[in-house]
Amino acid sequence: MSPASSINGFTLIPVLYTPSTTHYIYARPHSSSKAEIHSVLPSGRTLFLVNIPPDTTERELILLFKHCGTVERVVFDFEAKEPHHEEADSEDDEDEDMEESDEQPRKRRKTSKSDIPTVTPLPSTSLRTLRRTGRPAHIVFLDSSSLDRAMSASSKPRPWPTSEEPRGAAHYRALYASLRPPLDVVREHADTSIELYEYQLAKEKQKSKYLKGDAIVDEDGFTLVTRGGAYGKTLGGGVGVASKRFQRAGESGRYRTKKKEKKEKEGFYAFQKAEKQRSALMDLKKKWEEDKAKVEKLKASRRFKPY
Amino acid sequence: MTQNLKRKRENQLASRKTRKVEEEPDDETALDVEEHGGNSGAEDGLSDYGDMIEDDAEAEWGGVTGGQADVGEEHRPGTKPKKPPTGEELRAIKDAADLFRSGSFKLQIDALLPNIRPKASRIPPLDRILLSLHTFLMGIPSVSPQHPLEAARKLLKKGVAVPYSLPLPTEDTNWKVAFDSPSDITLAGSWANKVSVKLKDGLKFGVDLAVEMPNSLFQEKDYLNGRFFHKRSFYLATIAAAIQNPKSGFNVEVYYESLLEDVRLTKLVLIPKSDGPHTDFTKLNAQVNIIPVLSPSSPIPLHRLSPSHSNIRISANEDAKPPTPLYNNALLRSFTPKSHLLTTYSLKEESPAFADALTLLRIWANQRGFSEGSRFCVRGFEGSGPFWVGLLALLMKGEEPRASDSKYTKRRPLGKGLSSYQLFKAALDCLAKHPFGKSPLFVKAKDGHRFPPEEYEGHEAVLVDSGSFVNLLSGVPLGSVKLLQYEASKTLEILNETTITGDPFTEVFLKDNRDLSTRFDVVLRVDLSSAKPRSSSIQTTLDSGSTSTALMSSLGSLVSRGLGDRVQAAAILHPSPAARSVSQAHPLVPDVIVIGLVLDPQNAFRLVDHGPAADDEDQVALNDFRELWGGKSELRRFKDGRIIESVVWEVKTADERAHVPAMIVQHILKRHFGLEEDAVQSWQSSFDSVLRLPESISSKYLASGVSTGFKGAMTAFDNLVKAIKALDDELPLTLSTVSPTSELLRYTSVFSPVPLPASLATSMPPYTRYLTPIDIVLEFEKSSKWPDDLRAIQKIKLAFFERLASVLMESVSGLKANVVIGAGMQESDIIDKAYLEIVTSEGWAFSARIWHDREATLLDRIIDDKQKVMPHIATTKEVKKGKDYSEGLLAKELYIRRFIHAPHHHRAIAALCHRFTAFSGTVRLVKRWLASHWLLQGHITEEAVEIICAHFFVGDGRKLAIDADAEQAASHLVPSSKERGFATVVQFLAEWKWEDGLFVHLYGPKSPESSKPTAKGPTEGVWSISTEVDSDGRMWTSHGPDMVVAFRVRALAKATWDYLQGLEQGQLNVQSMFIHPTDDYDFIVQLDPMALARYHHNVAADHSFLSKQGKYANQQQWEVNADVLPGFDPARFLFSDLQRIYADTFKIFFDPYGGDRFGGVWDPTLRQPRPFRVLGGFSSIPFAKESDKAKEKGLVTLNEEAILGEIERLGTGLIKRITVQSKS
Repeated sequence: MSPASSINGFTLIPVLYTPSTTHYIYARPHSSSKAEIHSVLPSGRTLFLVNIPPDTTERELILLFKHCGTVERVVFDFEAKEPHHEEADSEDDEDEDMEESDEQPRKRRKTSKSDIPTVTPLPSTSLRTLRRTGRPAHIVFLDSSSLDRAMSASSKPRPWPTSEEPRGAAHYRALYASLRPPLDVVREHADTSIELYEYQLAKEKQKSKYLKGDAIVDEDGFTLVTRGGAYGKTLGGGVGVASKRFQRAGESGRYRTKKKEKKEKEGFYAFQKAEKQRSALMDLKKKWEEDKAKVEKLKASRRFKPY
Repeated sequence: MTQNLKRKRENQLASRKTRKVEEEPDDETALDVEEHGGNSGAEDGLSDYGDMIEDDAEAEWGGVTGGQADVGEEHRPGTKPKKPPTGEELRAIKDAADLFRSGSFKLQIDALLPNIRPKASRIPPLDRILLSLHTFLMGIPSVSPQHPLEAARKLLKKGVAVPYSLPLPTEDTNWKVAFDSPSDITLAGSWANKVSVKLKDGLKFGVDLAVEMPNSLFQEKDYLNGRFFHKRSFYLATIAAAIQNPKSGFNVEVYYESLLEDVRLTKLVLIPKSDGPHTDFTKLNAQVNIIPVLSPSSPIPLHRLSPSHSNIRISANEDAKPPTPLYNNALLRSFTPKSHLLTTYSLKEESPAFADALTLLRIWANQRGFSEGSRFCVRGFEGSGPFWVGLLALLMKGEEPRASDSKYTKRRPLGKGLSSYQLFKAALDCLAKHPFGKSPLFVKAKDGHRFPPEEYEGHEAVLVDSGSFVNLLSGVPLGSVKLLQYEASKTLEILNETTITGDPFTEVFLKDNRDLSTRFDVVLRVDLSSAKPRSSSIQTTLDSGSTSTALMSSLGSLVSRGLGDRVQAAAILHPSPAARSVSQAHPLVPDVIVIGLVLDPQNAFRLVDHGPAADDEDQVALNDFRELWGGKSELRRFKDGRIIESVVWEVKTADERAHVPAMIVQHILKRHFGLEEDAVQSWQSSFDSVLRLPESISSKYLASGVSTGFKGAMTAFDNLVKAIKALDDELPLTLSTVSPTSELLRYTSVFSPVPLPASLATSMPPYTRYLTPIDIVLEFEKSSKWPDDLRAIQKIKLAFFERLASVLMESVSGLKANVVIGAGMQESDIIDKAYLEIVTSEGWAFSARIWHDREATLLDRIIDDKQKVMPHIATTKEVKKGKDYSEGLLAKELYIRRFIHAPHHHRAIAALCHRFTAFSGTVRLVKRWLASHWLLQGHITEEAVEIICAHFFVGDGRKLAIDADAEQAASHLVPSSKERGFATVVQFLAEWKWEDGLFVHLYGPKSPESSKPTAKGPTEGVWSISTEVDSDGRMWTSHGPDMVVAFRVRALAKATWDYLQGLEQGQLNVQSMFIHPTDDYDFIVQLDPMALARYHHNVAADHSFLSKQGKYANQQQWEVNADVLPGFDPARFLFSDLQRIYADTFKIFFDPYGGDRFGGVWDPTLRQPRPFRVLGGFSSIPFAKESDKAKEKGLVTLNEEAILGEIERLGTGLIKRITVQSKS
């Protein structure tokens, strides 16, 4: 079997699981026009891989591309397109702190200052993360020449490297144990997490323009009236504030429940009565006909032969 | 009307005037009729039996039920009627709705009836043959009187045996048998009245020919000692010989057939051989029965034949004259055919609906085995035509007033204008409510009855016909009648059910209800060939006609006596014996019978049967009791001081308690009929064994003395709750509720729960050290201290767990607690994932979660895509419907299921388990069955199974509302044994059209709670099982079964159902019903049993693994760290990982109870080459093709080998090998 070396612009990288089984990874240089992505995945030295094995570890990929050059980092599942996959971008959920935005986790951590309480992470063990099959990954090389080498690499299959993370039964034992960290670690983690949350809350409050008692006046000089608190957020009173329901639905509740009064009275004229009676009879007949049709259909399917 | 006319005008401008003229009168009649209908509707709406007794005046118009069929024809069905219905039409519609259950019910009945009647076009050949038969019979030459034995020998030379009955004629009998041409030949029975009903299993219509034997052949004393029967037999044999003679010109086969295996009731059966078109009635599927009868003017005196007369004199002792009721009844049957013919005819004339009602009744009976059939049919109902007529006659003519008992309120006659359905229902009502066996029934006769009711004491159940000749229920065991009553109440219940889940019509008339496994709670298959009755009196043998009939009747009555009020019905069933050749004098007796028990759950499982007291005056009763039970009967002294003769049934486990009724039957069969255990087959214990741990494991639990079972689990739970409540001061918030949500705490886990203390764990093989955690939900008091952020809430929960864990460990010694921070998968921050794992000192494991109701609101905020701020406020961020949203949806669904529905469901199911003894067993069997076929958990949730099973117990939900005593009357549909429940569920799954959904009244009408919130989201599942609190019906089925799996369930259920039918042949091996066929999987992953955690749960576990210890090298290594790991099941982890990783690549199946194999089926669409996509979602390989074209297109296909390689890598240490199965 000699499959093509490229497909739809992707280079095939055959990987040997066992001497007889071959897995195929599809590779292409990464390119993106978006600037913010560029900082994470610099084009020119980023390789885009598709269909990596589900149990791939960072180490394994680094080993696989060792012959091309040094790998700076590996990014799995970068910005998953489909929103319905729960495991999208959360490889390091456990030891990540409370991130508000999921856009730029790394940048944020760098900018965090010393006065922000830090969260003691739960102990992280080096365990495999099992992703769904056929997922993509990005490999950022240290320099661009490695990328060229990776792309031009011969299609001679290389064996799949192994990293030291446990597999199979051992993996499950380790995972089972790692999910049950010592109690003091849990306490530490929970306490610091809450501290961080409170700090953020306080900071949010400081930052917020919506200080209680102060009216919000925009550039044009209009005072914003919103609902909230015992007296409304604007002191002074006298201003009607829309209800929450109105805010949500855009319609007021006062008149909504009122039923529309019918203009004509029912059963006032003789013809209305007759009409009603007639339509009742018609309905009766219609139902009868429907029943009949149904039974006729069942009859056709020989259902009425009990034995 | 104006509008209407306008429309008309547009349509038919031309015929405007004529239309208008036409319409006026039409409308008038319509209104008129409607008023009329409205009046009577009020009365007819009450279709109760009592209300059906109408005045004649009303009956007049109600009777018009004919006419509508042709009226409806005017409109093609389906087209929209343009005209209002005419008066006549309207009446037809109204009648259908009022007199029948509904319009469609009536139409269905109309459609059904022609199918079970003989086809008119095929009758002429029969008429021709009947005519020639008449001439032929009249012309058979007379045979001069001769000695019976000599005559028999002569006939035997011609190949015809004379079916003489007991007592057989001897050489020194001094009377003679003779033949003379019949004095009259009439067509009798249902054929003559055109009320024949097709029989089950392709049996033939019977055309009864009553041949009247001339009076000259008989003498007055012929009623004695079977002389009449001998003469009758000879008469019949002579006719048989004449017809069989090739010179007769009839191309028919001649057989004998004996009703109820009673040789005295033998008739001659002519079955046509196909020959020319002229007299060949094979196509009609009929047979001619020749029945010799007596003329009313015969010399045999009727007054000698009362049920209390003794007409068999065998003993010299003249004083002892035990009555011979069956014998007398058999003789009287010779008088009835003509009288029955006339009664039927007059009834048919009187009421137009009679014929239809009779037909419905007989279809109903046929479907339930109260007739002939080649499957197991209820004993005593062969040739029961006259009984059904008699039953309807009783309703229509009323009951004979009792002279002796003026207080007895007789049944009044019903109105003649009732519809066929109403008559049918009245008949069922009569059957269901009359105390047969206690009080005899007499159809009103013209001039009173010949014999007073007291004389009928020798019969078990009594219904005397209007001609006052025979008891129509003679020879029918009381058990069979009880079963008939039970079935009648069951059907009435179905018809009265208010909610229409499924069409009652199908259930009542179209479905074959003879399946033993869904019909009886306990089924015992008995081989009678080795039966030796302990006590048999010659007198009873002679009365019943033969030893076999005597055996059968005494068996029935002894079993019924032994069971007493434990059963609602205990019936004997066997296939109707086939017709025998005329060279065989005596009927074939069925070797194998089935005893079917319908239990009364209130009494069935009692352990002690009380008899009479030891010092009782009534010595007879005492002796009877001792005689019945033999050595089992002992004198016992009870706590209240009574000393009573009693029988105690010893049971070791709760499972065995369910066996008590079967044990009683076995004991009685052994004692009275010498039938050893191997002659009696029952299946209960093999069903038990699939729910039990293997002996080698359970013995260890027994030996260790830990408290096991559901009771043990409950106690452990209660203790834990107490322990947590005691810690209130130590916790920041007070605990308000602890709700259990585990199947282990609601009696529905497959295996009875067991703890695993550390001491025991070391002595168990490592692959059996599984400990199931018990899920509970903690709810704390409401507090404003909770943070208003989902992520922070999850962290606070961690803090709570940590606190709880430390204080619990401090206060309760031996208790271990761990905070588990998730399930190991990548989960979002906002989902509830952490839980507290507690292992008590006794070895019970709990996993506790915290329910905080604020989460729901916060999640709603994420999900609700409407903007929360007013539109004119500029929002800084785009509201992104991205990750947060999808995570929110998932979290919400989980939240609702875990914290709102699960506790509610738990309470409802636990209550059902208390109410219905068989419910828990049924659920456990069904779960086991689904699990062993690799479907449970991975594809079908336990809760869904519980709800489906509950469907057969709660019915339409009314039972949950009413009081205990009313409940008993309404419990006919509820299975009383887990085997029957299991069969019912399997049958349902085999037939269920899941598109229609299923509504289960799990919570009863008591809780008019509005539907609980349900999370909406995309669902893969196709089953919809709704309850009062879950109107969508997807709460427990949203993640499966999907279409593929649902079809698989159906196919498996069908196969299992067919296999269950093997019960009839006695070939059922329960164990093999739980063995999964693996042929249709693409690949099988074989796991290493040593690496599993719960191999002992495996349905077909290799017992050598379980019993031998220390044989394996790695044993020692395991012994050292014999930690108890609750919920640690690597196979299950691997399975769910594979299921998740390869969700779009293949479907994987696995038995969660110790299964050692996975089965996988590739998604067939992936195996076709398809263009390469970046996010294809499956592991692909470039499609290798010689031409370059394929390369250009970039086609790829599934890389099966590599995937299997990955699986093997993922399951290192767990997987032994992977077998790829090529489909042929």
